Amino acid sequence: MALTTLRGRVAFIFDEENFDVDQIVGVKNIKITDVEELAKVAMLSYDPEFHAKVRKGDILVGAHNFGYGHPHYPPMRAMRHLGVAGVVAESFSPGYWRGEISMGFPQASCPGILGLVERWDDIEVDFDANEVRNLTRGRSLPMEPLSFADRSMLDAGGLVPYLKRSAAGAQPAAPAGSAPAESRNA
Amino acid sequence: MGYTITEKILARVSGQGPVKAGDEVMAKPDFVIAYDFPGYTDVYFKQMKEDFGIDRVSEPDRYAIFIDHMVPATTPKEEELHIGTRQWCAENGVALYERRGIGHQVAAEVGYATPGAFVVHFDGHISQLGTFGTLAMGIRRNLLEAFVRERISIKVPQTVRVNLRGTLRKGVMARDVFHHLVRTLGPASCRFQVLELGGPALSQISTEGLQTITGLAMFTGAITAIVNPDAERLAYALPRAKKAIEPVYSDPDAEYAAVHDVDLTDLEPLVVIPPTPANSRNLSDFLGLEINAGYLGSCASGRLEDLRVAAKVLQGRQVKPGFQLNVVPTSQEIMAAAGREGLISTLAEAGAFISSPSCDYCFGRIATMTANQRAVSTGTLNVRGRMGSPDSEIYLCNAATVAATAIEGAIADPRKYL
Repeated sequence: MALTTLRGRVAFIFDEENFDVDQIVGVKNIKITDVEELAKVAMLSYDPEFHAKVRKGDILVGAHNFGYGHPHYPPMRAMRHLGVAGVVAESFSPGYWRGEISMGFPQASCPGILGLVERWDDIEVDFDANEVRNLTRGRSLPMEPLSFADRSMLDAGGLVPYLKRSAAGAQPAAPAGSAPAESRNA
Repeated sequence: MGYTITEKILARVSGQGPVKAGDEVMAKPDFVIAYDFPGYTDVYFKQMKEDFGIDRVSEPDRYAIFIDHMVPATTPKEEELHIGTRQWCAENGVALYERRGIGHQVAAEVGYATPGAFVVHFDGHISQLGTFGTLAMGIRRNLLEAFVRERISIKVPQTVRVNLRGTLRKGVMARDVFHHLVRTLGPASCRFQVLELGGPALSQISTEGLQTITGLAMFTGAITAIVNPDAERLAYALPRAKKAIEPVYSDPDAEYAAVHDVDLTDLEPLVVIPPTPANSRNLSDFLGLEINAGYLGSCASGRLEDLRVAAKVLQGRQVKPGFQLNVVPTSQEIMAAAGREGLISTLAEAGAFISSPSCDYCFGRIATMTANQRAVSTGTLNVRGRMGSPDSEIYLCNAATVAATAIEGAIADPRKYL
């Protein structure tokens, strides 16, 4: 398994800066562990028809510092259950970023994304060319490259398979300076 | 070009000569710290065995576990979690600190805040060890990596340097300084970077105050905060240090992503209004707002200077009838010292409810609020539902403001009581 180019529709645009992802399921539902139940309550306050409209491979779009606050895992568990394949945002809050990458959930930092896409546009997120393409409108923007470790974790499908790929005690090759100078992690 | 304290620490623990921001390295944490919490430690302990075939950690002295949440337990399930933690620590020969206080504070007391050390935890508030020149990061579930192998993958972060200058006025505390930084620099100003504090005003801020500021660093987007430890911080940390490490300091010509000067002279007490820690406001704009409860405690407060200022405000006065003031000293060491100083009796006589150290007030596990209730709090966070019902509200402020508000039952300016 390796990270491949995501191709899907923009299922929703969270245009609020410093967006607290817990709002996706609502704080009162954050302790629900059953993913079916979580998926039922997800997005109700943003678009009550979201469940009917979303389909496998769709992508979420966020604003600057997406995931700020005290992010929990259930909101994106619910989103993955509904078929969402990844998130593209202007930029991310580090705690959220680290948590979702460790779940194997692709995240892409793309300054300018809010101006590039509208809801339901078809887009491509290319982690090899480091580019987000709007297929509906025929325009694109560069995205920030993933760090070596983040890319490896997404290639493996999350933290545990990533750690298993290198036997316990062994270290993956990550020579100092291997990342491009402009890489900012998110 | 010189190096930052962060680059120097990560160079040492990656064992490969100088490193610069942007480099990806495999670093060996000096200490791996966690508190027992469902979904974290219990899962790590299980995954170590079942997924990686590791029965025991190889260098138990590098690990420390704290039991500070769900203290005291209120359900059999919580106590079962603690039992599992105690067993794992005993089997692994790993230090367990139970009922000693909130782990991020106790970690400093018992010597994990070794100047120059690299520390990882799953919880980001461990950043407060940066007060002592320790590079301490919360890496969420990735902490598993530190349980199953010696080194963890990390990208050397850039640093934002903030130079503090000016003089703090009476009634203005370190807590206000932090929220002022969020307001002036922005909640994303240090994203994925280290917040390095310096400048001439730093020495005016107490060690306890610095623990507050560095402990809240995540709300600027920073992955941690650090200072170049001066004589006062070293005098605290070196005699307790768990490991012999030479302290390191940023070079004068170190390279920073940004340098900001922040003047503290005209700073007023602040309040952070719900529902996000990005909402710093002047306290003066919210005076008189009716409040039901007050919380003085958490890893971001509840230390001696906080208890002292609260006792000063409440000395000879009474908490307003019906107002629930909860005071929770952050560690047993702090609680005992407060007792010796007479602070506990002053606060109790004023009507405060005083609890032994526990994390549980901060996230609403106890003293849970119901819909439409409103609290002032020195806790870490004011997001919806943090201290109970999603329809309750939390106003974050300094300890003096919590005490003054308890007297009036409404947001009050503490300076008239000081």
